Amino acid sequence: MMRSKGLRSLLVLAGLVAVVVAAFIVARTSDPTPVSTTGTRYAVTVTAERNAIDVRVDKGQADTVTIDSVMLTMGHSMPEVTARRTGPGHFVAEGDDLFLMTGAWELSIRLTGPSGEETLTLNTLVAD
Amino acid sequence: MTRLLCLVALLLVALAPPAAAHVVKAGADLRIAQTIAGSELTLVIKATTRVPGPLRVEAIGFPTAPELDLRLRSVADGRVVRGTVAPGRPAQLGVEETGPHELTVSAGGESAVIPFRVLVDRGSGWEFLIYGGLFVAALLLVGGLLTGAFNRRGRPAFVVTAVAAAGVAVAALIVILEPWLPAAAPDGAEPRPTDSAVGRPYVQRVLSTVPARPAAGEEFVARVELFDGSTGRPVDDLAIHHEAMAHLVVTSEDGRYFRHVHPLRTAPGRLEVRLRADRPGRYLTYVELERTDSGGQLLTGSFTVTGSATATAATSDPAIQDASTAGTVTVTPAVPQAGRPATVEVTTSGTPRPWLGMAGHLIVRSEDGQFLGHVHEMGTPGSRLRFTFGFPAPGRYLAWTQYATDRGITTVPFTVEVPR
Repeated sequence: MMRSKGLRSLLVLAGLVAVVVAAFIVARTSDPTPVSTTGTRYAVTVTAERNAIDVRVDKGQADTVTIDSVMLTMGHSMPEVTARRTGPGHFVAEGDDLFLMTGAWELSIRLTGPSGEETLTLNTLVAD
Repeated sequence: MTRLLCLVALLLVALAPPAAAHVVKAGADLRIAQTIAGSELTLVIKATTRVPGPLRVEAIGFPTAPELDLRLRSVADGRVVRGTVAPGRPAQLGVEETGPHELTVSAGGESAVIPFRVLVDRGSGWEFLIYGGLFVAALLLVGGLLTGAFNRRGRPAFVVTAVAAAGVAVAALIVILEPWLPAAAPDGAEPRPTDSAVGRPYVQRVLSTVPARPAAGEEFVARVELFDGSTGRPVDDLAIHHEAMAHLVVTSEDGRYFRHVHPLRTAPGRLEVRLRADRPGRYLTYVELERTDSGGQLLTGSFTVTGSATATAATSDPAIQDASTAGTVTVTPAVPQAGRPATVEVTTSGTPRPWLGMAGHLIVRSEDGQFLGHVHEMGTPGSRLRFTFGFPAPGRYLAWTQYATDRGITTVPFTVEVPR
C-alpha cells in the first residue's frame, strides 16, 4: 500500500514536471513572424513560409511585387518570383520551390506602381 | 524517483538545441571608426536598455574632428529622428522600438549610412521557469501548512506537497541544466536559426576611383564595391571588425605614401573614402573586412595617379611624420629570420590611448606588395608598443606603426630587411 502510494506520488510529480516543461517549450516555438520594412516610397509587412510568401503593402500603391530570395550563409540564390495580387495592397507568392531549404533568408521585395519603383530588403526565418 | 528524474533530464538535454554563439549582443556598445570630412573618428552607439527610450551616440576623435549631423531612421516603420554629435558633446536620440535601424552620419558634404540593430535583452526565458517553480512551491508550502493545520485527512496535504515538490523540482532542474539550454536572442535581433552554420561565401571586390584617373594633389574618391562570390549580389552584411566595417590601407608602390582609413558605407555593398595623393604612380590598396558569422578577408587592388608631383602635399600631410620625433623602432633580433617570430618595439611620444580596440597597430607590406599583415599590440604598459610578428619570407618589408594620443594619430614608418 505504502509502496503503490509512493509510486503514484512520483508519477504525479513527474507528470507535473513534464507538463510545465512541455508547455514552456511549446510557448517558445511560435508561428512565422511577420517582418515590417519601410522605404521611401513603400512600406511592406512580409510573412514567409516554406510554400508561401505573403506581402502586405502598408504604404504606397503597388501594381507588381517581385521577390528574390538569398540565403546569405550558404550563398543560395532563388529565381525571382512574381507575387499574385489577391486584394488591394495584398500579394501572395506560392510554390514548392520558393526556398531551397529552411533557415535565415534575405528577401528583396521589388515593388512597382503609381508610387514608383523601390526594392526593400529584409531578413526572415523560414521554417517547415 | 531517481530514474524518472534522470529520464526527464535526459529528455530535456535531447530536446534542447545546442547553445549558439550570438554575434550580436544586447547591452554592448557599437564602436565604428569612420574617415569623414578629412578626420578620423570613432562613433559609439551606446547600448539601449529599453524601448521606447534614449539612444546615446558619442563621437571619439581629436581636436580637429568636425561636428556630425545624425539622422536615425527605423527600417521597420520609417520614423526619423535627428541630432548632432561632436567629441565631448554626445547626442541623445529617441528610439521607439527594437530591430533594424539606419544611422546616417554627415559632415563636410560626405555621408555614411550605418545599418545596425537596436537590441534589448529580454533575459533568458528559462528564468521564468526557475522563479515560477519556486513561486508555486512557496505558495503551496504555505497552503500545505494551513491545510495540515485545518484538515485531519492526509489527501489534500499530499496533493499540495506533490505540486510544491514539482515546483522545486522544475526550478532545480533548470538551474542545473541552464548552461546547456538555448539562450534567448535579444529583442530586435536578426532572425537566425539556433544551429546556423558559421562562414559565408567569399567577397569579390571592384575597386575604382572617381575620377577614374585622379591627378596628383587633387582630391578623389576611392570606391570599393563588394559582391557575393556565390550570388553576385552586393555584400551588405559586414560585421564590425576591429571597430570598423572595413579597414582600407592605401600605399604607393615605394611605400612613401601610406593611409589607413575607414571608408563610409554610401550604399549597400559600397564603401567610399576621399583621398589625396601627392605624387603620380601606382597605388596599392588592401581592404580588410569580415562578413557576419565569418572570418576575416583581405581584398587587394590598385589604381594609378596621373599628373606631376606636388611639393606641398608631402609636408602638410599629418599622417607622415619624421620617425625621429614620432618614435624609435627596435627590432629583436636585429636581423630577423623568415618564419621565426621577431619583436618590434616602438617608443612613443605621448601616452597611447586605445584606437580601433588596441593600443597600437603595425601594418607590414612586402616590398612587392604581394603580402600585407596587420599586427596588434599586446598591451605593453607605458609609452612603449610591442608587436610580435614572423616575417613570412626573406626580403624587404615596409612597415608602419600607428598609435593614437590625445593630439591625433601618429604613424611611424620603417623598413625591415629579412635575409635569405
